[in-house]
Amino acid sequence: MSFFGGNMQSQQQTINPQNIALAEQELEMVTDLFNRITESCHKKCISKEYTQGELNQGEAVCIDRCVAKFLDVNSKVGEKMQQMGGSA
Amino acid sequence: MDPSKYNQAEQEQIRALIEQKQVSDFMNLFTGLTDRCFKECAYDFRTKAVTGREAACVQKCADRFLKHSERVSTRFAELSEAVSRTIFYVVRKIEFIY
Repeated sequence: MSFFGGNMQSQQQTINPQNIALAEQELEMVTDLFNRITESCHKKCISKEYTQGELNQGEAVCIDRCVAKFLDVNSKVGEKMQQMGGSA
Repeated sequence: MDPSKYNQAEQEQIRALIEQKQVSDFMNLFTGLTDRCFKECAYDFRTKAVTGREAACVQKCADRFLKHSERVSTRFAELSEAVSRTIFYVVRKIEFIY
């Protein structure tokens, strides 16, 4: 699947499809994570009463905390799954 | 997604991938936002024209969501170290599968 001939690599750069697939997976994951955070924090922080086009200070601070908390929860869940993966 | 892991040709391909993704992400943002603001603001179906009130609501709805999205992405970028830790957990699993 991937070529490891010394000469070949110096003449042309070969694309390892595994690396691309991995990068693609990472990209998908980050995009998905971002979209979920945007959706969740909008539900939790932004009121539906549209009195003005700007976010007020309370909403802004809520967003900051919401993003931080979401990523924290994300890490904790990741750790948990690591532990469970190890013991399984 | 550490660039040093990939050679030049791979980086090119990944760059193209990212560009592609940005286009489709933008499309999704657009359709998602339309849907959201329609759900929030359109309520008067005695007329097919958008009423003044509905139009003002849509303006604010779109404005607020885009500002919200902007703020989230700023914070997200700042906390990207936490993000890469998550990726690390998942990637380890994927590498194991591969």
